[in-house]
Amino acid sequence: MGTVVSLRLAGPAGDAGESVRRAAHAAARDTFRRWDERFSLYRADSELSRIARGDIRLTDASRELRDCYALALDWRDRTNGVFTPHRADGVLDLSGIVKALAIHEAGGVLAGLGLAGWSINGGGDILVGGRPTPGSDWMSGIVDPLHRGAVLAGVPQTGRMRAVATSGSAERGEHIWTALPGAPSPYRQVSVFAGDIVTADVIATAIVAGGEKTLDESTDRWSIEVLAVLRDGRLLATPGLRRPAS
Amino acid sequence: MRKRASAFAALASVAVLAAGWELGVQAGVQAGVLSPAGTAAGTAAGTSDSSGAASPGGAPAAAAPAAAAAPSGTFTGSAVQTRFGPVQVSVTIAGGAITDVTALRLTDRDGKSVAISNRAAPVLREEVLSAQSASVQNIGGATYTTEGYLQSLQSALDAANF
Amino acid sequence: MLALMSIDTTRRRPARAPSAPPVHPAYQRRMRLADTLQVLSVVSVALVIAIFLADGGAVRFTTPADALTSLGILSGLVGSDLLLVMLLLAARLPLIDRAFGHDRAMAVHQSLGKPALYLLLGHGALLIGGYALADNSTLPAEVWTMLTQLPDMPLAFVGLALLVTVVVSSIVVVRRRFRYEAWHAVHLLAYAAVLVSIPHQLSVGGLLRDGSIQRYYWLALYAGVAGSILLFRFIIPTVRSIRHRLVVAGVDRVAPGVVSLRLTGRGLRKLNASAGQFFIWRFWTPGLWWQAHPFSLSAAPGGDTLRITVRGLGDASAALPTLPTGTRVSFEGPYGLFTERARTSPRIVLVAAGIGVAPIRSLLESASFEPGGATVILRAPSPGELYLADEMAALCARRGATLRVIAGHRPAGVDSWLPVDAAAAGITLASLVPDVGEADVYVCGPRRWTDAVVADARAAHVPTRQIHYERFDW
Repeated sequence: MGTVVSLRLAGPAGDAGESVRRAAHAAARDTFRRWDERFSLYRADSELSRIARGDIRLTDASRELRDCYALALDWRDRTNGVFTPHRADGVLDLSGIVKALAIHEAGGVLAGLGLAGWSINGGGDILVGGRPTPGSDWMSGIVDPLHRGAVLAGVPQTGRMRAVATSGSAERGEHIWTALPGAPSPYRQVSVFAGDIVTADVIATAIVAGGEKTLDESTDRWSIEVLAVLRDGRLLATPGLRRPAS
Repeated sequence: MRKRASAFAALASVAVLAAGWELGVQAGVQAGVLSPAGTAAGTAAGTSDSSGAASPGGAPAAAAPAAAAAPSGTFTGSAVQTRFGPVQVSVTIAGGAITDVTALRLTDRDGKSVAISNRAAPVLREEVLSAQSASVQNIGGATYTTEGYLQSLQSALDAANF
Repeated sequence: MLALMSIDTTRRRPARAPSAPPVHPAYQRRMRLADTLQVLSVVSVALVIAIFLADGGAVRFTTPADALTSLGILSGLVGSDLLLVMLLLAARLPLIDRAFGHDRAMAVHQSLGKPALYLLLGHGALLIGGYALADNSTLPAEVWTMLTQLPDMPLAFVGLALLVTVVVSSIVVVRRRFRYEAWHAVHLLAYAAVLVSIPHQLSVGGLLRDGSIQRYYWLALYAGVAGSILLFRFIIPTVRSIRHRLVVAGVDRVAPGVVSLRLTGRGLRKLNASAGQFFIWRFWTPGLWWQAHPFSLSAAPGGDTLRITVRGLGDASAALPTLPTGTRVSFEGPYGLFTERARTSPRIVLVAAGIGVAPIRSLLESASFEPGGATVILRAPSPGELYLADEMAALCARRGATLRVIAGHRPAGVDSWLPVDAAAAGITLASLVPDVGEADVYVCGPRRWTDAVVADARAAHVPTRQIHYERFDW
């Protein structure tokens, strides 16, 4: 899918733990490979590419693809059309949701393997489970889009913040079609923390595309935390991302 | 106006006013002056500071803790009409002291009532949750290509930890 | 000096013992309609106060700041409601004309002007004070805060300023100094004042917040009033004028400075005009097109002709005698309750002075009465100022009505409608018409004179519902 996946696995030390970790590694890689084969637009022979070229019709596609498409449409409704799998040129682009779904499935696989903790970082979108070490939480940093070496926030990913997805309008060109007519997004980068990675990913994309209205509607409607970077570098954050007043 | 019409108008007006009054009383009961709300709801809303900037000048009637036996828990005040619309706050009291005040309801510029407890508001960099980069295991950011910065940052972390 | 001249055209009947005349069913209907409209307007005020109460406003009087704010909101609500009632009264609604008569509706409209303005000025002052107290700031600082921080406030201030202009310009002292059309143009700013105030009502304070029932009611109220004004004040008159193609068919000289204009058009029967009603006319010639005049019909409407009789008063009316035939005429109407519809008894007394004879003449032609059941009294300072006298005499003869012509100047300083010597002789309406207490009395003439006749009729125990007169000074 044109991205790199980093996996961290925490578990008991020793041979038993090592074999579990290797099995987990293999399972996760397998999951991503399957998703890549079917859904990557970067592979000419993937099912999604063939549909984009017109070689097969959507109605003849596999059930997994059609389910994925249906889910994307569901999210289109929930975000009032701001998030949509249809590109401006009519090509079906499920990349907005596929990566998240892959991470989600891989996370499910990992969760069932009895690890003490695991984290998946797929191209900047992070899903965690368990703890890295006993007594501590998985900590994730959100990169500062204006100063690449710096990190804006260090957030413990617990509970309903176990998934974080970040969308930007600066990396890799404007691949998010903004819902604002003719205007670039007011946000340079939006990071959404949620209980599941698909929700986080879709809403992050929607907020970049939809602007302030979508940001406010999303925080009202879903139980999420948002860290947004405006074009001039200023920050917006929901209460859960604020340092507690000491 | 003729006498009969005057009498009828007076009667009808009194009825209308009484109905309005009754509705107002009911609305007041619902908002609950000093009605204890579930502590769970209170803590969920009260984990963060209420952003004082959100209610310019409106004087929300924070439910003052009863002077007698200091109660504990979270209490929701009645909605107060300000020029910006209704404002409602809840206070969390523990051990006889107010430990948290949260604004539950505010109106935005369009006069819509919103739960502000979860809106994204402007913050300074110092106000955001942060930790030393060393203690961070993952770096999140917008999707990067294999040639991107992030990958190197992440891979540095990966290398360091593995 | 001619004092009394009496043309008795009937055989004298023995005087009947006065008895309470039966109440006409049409009168009952009209009074019920009037009652309903009055009750509705009072209830509308109660409703807006109830909206405030239903929002829990009754408890918001605990602190001085709260009390001022709540009073400010209340006065804004009631003031706006009164403004809407005023607009409806001036909207020429057929229902209102039928219930009260256009002139009476306009009189109520005038009387509501100052209270509405005071309430709205109070609304502004109380809210500025209340907010200033709550914010602990000075009044000027608070005004600045309101203008910059609250939505739609600059427009609200503009609206209030416009309203002040409209009301001040309508005070008699000020109004007299301007010609009618100039005053009227300023007065129409009232529509702008109301429109411009709507945004802040919907956006500030939260009482009429999005999605609430009261917001829907408020919007529906405004929509209803706006729709009525558009329809009855502007659209219908315009459409009628275009459809009926009224033109001047001829100008007849009645007396020096007094002319009758005969107007013809298409399908005039559809206008449903009644004798005694008036229209507001606009004559499309270079000197007159920008003025609108209320003139009553001076002949019962029938066929495709309407007739008005006009005295040359003021610069414009002086131009009327020279109106070329074929001049297009646009009109608004018919309006007025000075008609057969207001009848409550079978007998009738018609009293006219000067040019007021015009609607009386049309009533005489078509009012229903038995021969001997009608008396017509014509007043004028001198016989030369009796207009349409020969038509009146002929009609009276034909219909069997008694005609009394009384010429002579009124006594100075005394409120009498009769000439000096008649007043001195103690002659009253009752002495002229013994059974006036059982008749409908229609009076038309100058304002002070009409008031004197009405007072005399009341003194003769004529019930109020049987006294009919029309004002034209609105």
